[in-house]
Amino acid sequence: MEQNKPKTKFSRRSFLKATGATSAVLGLSGLGFFGYEAGRDPASYTGWKTFEGGDQTFPRHRFTVNEPPYEKVGPTRRVDPRSEIVFSRLPTFVRYWRQDPRIESLPEHLQKYYQEHPEDLELDLENIKVLRPKLMADQEKYGRTFLLAEAWSEAMAAVVPPRITEPPEKADFPYVGWGRGQEKLRRPYKLKSPAKTSRLIKKIAHELGATLVGIARLNPDWVFQYPIPGRGLDPNQPLEIPSHWEYAIVVGTPMSWDPMYANPNYGTSEDAYSISRIIAYRLAAFIKYLGYAARPHTPGYSYDLMVPPIMIDAGLGEQARSSIVITPELGPNFRAAVVTTNIPLKPDKPIKFGVESFCKTCKICAEQCPSGAITKGDKVVVRGYRKWQLHAAKCYNFWNSNLGNMGCRLCIAVCPYTRKANWLHRAALNLSSNDPTGLSHDALTQLQKIFYPGPNPQDYYIPSLGGKNASYRRPPWWLRTEDFIEFE
Amino acid sequence: MSIFNSGFFWFIEGILTCLVILGIKTWAEDRGIKLTWWKWLLILLWFSLAGFTLAFVGTSLGENEPIAALRGGVLFGVLTIILGVACWRLLSLKKKKN
Repeated sequence: MEQNKPKTKFSRRSFLKATGATSAVLGLSGLGFFGYEAGRDPASYTGWKTFEGGDQTFPRHRFTVNEPPYEKVGPTRRVDPRSEIVFSRLPTFVRYWRQDPRIESLPEHLQKYYQEHPEDLELDLENIKVLRPKLMADQEKYGRTFLLAEAWSEAMAAVVPPRITEPPEKADFPYVGWGRGQEKLRRPYKLKSPAKTSRLIKKIAHELGATLVGIARLNPDWVFQYPIPGRGLDPNQPLEIPSHWEYAIVVGTPMSWDPMYANPNYGTSEDAYSISRIIAYRLAAFIKYLGYAARPHTPGYSYDLMVPPIMIDAGLGEQARSSIVITPELGPNFRAAVVTTNIPLKPDKPIKFGVESFCKTCKICAEQCPSGAITKGDKVVVRGYRKWQLHAAKCYNFWNSNLGNMGCRLCIAVCPYTRKANWLHRAALNLSSNDPTGLSHDALTQLQKIFYPGPNPQDYYIPSLGGKNASYRRPPWWLRTEDFIEFE
Repeated sequence: MSIFNSGFFWFIEGILTCLVILGIKTWAEDRGIKLTWWKWLLILLWFSLAGFTLAFVGTSLGENEPIAALRGGVLFGVLTIILGVACWRLLSLKKKKN
């Protein structure tokens, strides 16, 4: 009987083997779908979905160091914004040059600057004589493509806090009875400890919407030599650093990620600037209510100091080759603001997580920068500190050589640190941060170049300057003007 | 939230992994192949590479980076196939009987 029993075609063992093979196919396919979801998940745009830093995953505490990762090599000097900051220099230059186009007609500080930096005089002249007229002509021809991007930027910039009209001795301090002729200095409340206050301030900043918050003792070297207009101070008189600017609280928020990848023309700095600006004003109000002095410094608008080195001091990131700060959570994709205060705080420690070593080998930003403003060379000594120096005049000239929103931000878009916080890029970040040999930095840079190539840098220019109005990536659907607006 | 980035997805992946292990074990027994620790290690590494390749392609497509998906798929895919063939040959090795 046993011998006559027909053999089953599909035995238990065959079933196990078939199930195993099917499971392998399903399991591996599942990983493909998992990857797809991870890639498109907006939650991996760190800081943008929640704003509050709750989705930050980098173990920052493991990378703290006692001294900031920059080198002080000689006598230091504070920056003179009137000549060394292009946004301040160029309007003055234009105003004087149009009246009398001779070096001798310029204010003394500009004469001195241009004598020391003759290349910048040529670049500034090129800006007003060549670039701006061409830009205006191309704006007529091609500008409509970027209409929605400009509208988006305009919307983000629409809310602006009132300008500071009084000097720090008055404007920074809290008064009660404001506006009734009975102003009285608010008495500061006694605080239990600087550490507790720091924790409180950080929590409040996050609640106000800050993704990044750090605290530093203010290094006077980072304060401008002269105030910029609109700060309640005389721009022609040297800025005496008030004694109540003891600490600097830095807050930062990311720029919207998808437009940022479509730079230099679709992204805008205004989205993050405006949010960081409002957070800084609110945080200053919070501190003042406790009876302490506080003054918001909001770049892109109204400030008395350089923000990037304060961010480094506050342990938020390291300086990159492009001269901007790279943070572990957002890469360089953020805009920051500062509140100077005398509320007793416990400063954060700086961090060092491999950016310097990575930037030494990477150079992608320098290769992609259309203007050549980012050096491919070594660090240089600037005002007593060794750093990578951005050629700001070249950078700013490119701002006037592309359409869409003001600025460029390409160095942010192409940076390997400007990537989503998904499994792939977090693995790369962890690898590069924990590699003391720097071997992985070379490999990761090569992979970045292979996998994420950009257009030819010349293509980013306007057509009048030999370009194609190119952007690093396609804009998101909601900024494609041609899909929404019918032009006659 | 999609099922593919939920905890349930990894639960299913765990079950599928167990079934794959069981299938490989049965297959090896039927062919008279003894699976030593290093052979299991090779299998694990190969599956990890294959999984990484597919996840990389998927992630790049999700990120709207088709060039990365294509180049990564070709680069890692070819590597996966070559190592898969090598792995298969190694796994299939039997001791010669004198």
